[in-house]
Amino acid sequence: MEMPLDIIVAEDNLVQRTYLARMIAHLGHTALVAEDGIEALKLVQTSGAQILITDFDMPKMNGLELTHAVRGLNLDHYVHIIMLTGSGQSETSAEALDTGVDDFLTKDNDPSRLKARIHVASRLVHHAREQQNQHRILKEINSRIQEDLKAAADAQRQLLPAIHRDIGGIHVSSAFVPSAMVSGDMFGCFALPQNKLGLYAVDVSGHGIHASLLSVAIGHLITPEFFCNAACGKDGKPDPAGLVSNLNQRFSAADNDDYFTMFCAIIDTDTGHMDFCQAGYPSPTYVDATGQATLVGEGGFPVGMFSHFSYENDVFAFEEGGLLVLCSDAAGEAENEHGVPFGRGMLCSVIEQNHQSDTDALPDIIVQDLTEWRGGRALEDDLTVVALKRINS
Amino acid sequence: MIHTSKYPPHIVVVRPGVERLTAINSKAFKEEVIALIEGGASQLVIDFKEVSFLDSSGLGALTGVLKRIGHRGDLVVCGLNNDVTQMFKICRMDRVFKSYSDVDAAVQAMSESL
Repeated sequence: MEMPLDIIVAEDNLVQRTYLARMIAHLGHTALVAEDGIEALKLVQTSGAQILITDFDMPKMNGLELTHAVRGLNLDHYVHIIMLTGSGQSETSAEALDTGVDDFLTKDNDPSRLKARIHVASRLVHHAREQQNQHRILKEINSRIQEDLKAAADAQRQLLPAIHRDIGGIHVSSAFVPSAMVSGDMFGCFALPQNKLGLYAVDVSGHGIHASLLSVAIGHLITPEFFCNAACGKDGKPDPAGLVSNLNQRFSAADNDDYFTMFCAIIDTDTGHMDFCQAGYPSPTYVDATGQATLVGEGGFPVGMFSHFSYENDVFAFEEGGLLVLCSDAAGEAENEHGVPFGRGMLCSVIEQNHQSDTDALPDIIVQDLTEWRGGRALEDDLTVVALKRINS
Repeated sequence: MIHTSKYPPHIVVVRPGVERLTAINSKAFKEEVIALIEGGASQLVIDFKEVSFLDSSGLGALTGVLKRIGHRGDLVVCGLNNDVTQMFKICRMDRVFKSYSDVDAAVQAMSESL
């Protein structure tokens, strides 16, 4: 048994209209009758009926005009239109099909033909309804996922504050541009006891939800207390490699390909002595007080890849007036429309040229240059820029 | 996506078949190479001659394959361009993967060590 449907009958002839309405009722459906096209159009707009049987010749608005008007409506459902035809009206058929008529029914009052036509129409209506239902479900699921992602992105943003602060004579400033709603970058900067500054930047392999889960876990783990405990050797000396080894042990146990690159440093704000460990993170650019740029660090194993990896400490003299800039690999890898990467060399030049700019403005200058290089297209990977300037005492 | 060729005694050379091995295709690359390993291949050369760019996900796939081979065999790379070589250096992957200039050098070194 077919589900009962509302079927609009547009027919100016009373006898024909009554006959069709009775037949429709007899088939278990509800007929909504109209005496002309205008009346029928109103019914289409208000009733939600998805089948319209219309005569061709009617006063005020004929069947073709009605069809044209129905197709021009912005309805959220499809209306299946069946046109009643007299014999020998084949020349109007092509025009009717072009206008939007789906099917034809000859006025020979054969109940079995009418039944068959309504059967076809109701099958299509049910199919359309099913599709609409699926579409609605997918839309609901999608909007729920979007809401969850938005909540995740907000939680992550809270862990990634825009830093603009002074820590013992070193001014720190940052910029962060996620490639999607959530990102795999994480960084932090803290004042540590004994006039030290602790700094780390992490870039999780891949991007999107998968990478962001790991980056958020790292962000929550590395509190100032954790940093202080893990990056101090037994002798009290700074040991950033100790912190990196600690993380490597924690994160290389998982049976997957996830890993992250990291730069971790402890700077003595009185002397500018920097102990650092570079774990696969791109070498930071250092510009000395005379404006000469160099790259810092020789590289090192990423974190979480293999538990047997070992990490080394390195040292660097951060002079007064010097500028140190960390950029995640999205900066060097950013390609223009011709597929040419920005490159570390160009990045180094941009930093060198702008080394006397306000430190707070510098990360945004780099982001701006990369945006221009990309021709306004979004970056393919998450971008972090952290600039540190040692102020002259 | 991958293309393979066999060299005696049991060396399989794999060309990734993409110009850029990135987050978009590295999962498929890994799965296809792991299928080779599960099919019995244990001496693998990954030829990067036609790969111009490898991102962090591509490197993750490569180390994932290495983990799967474990002690049962060996995985070496060849044909790295300057950018990929630089990335390997910063991540110390030059200490993880033996690297050769081209397929011939890789196959020869591998067959001598067997």
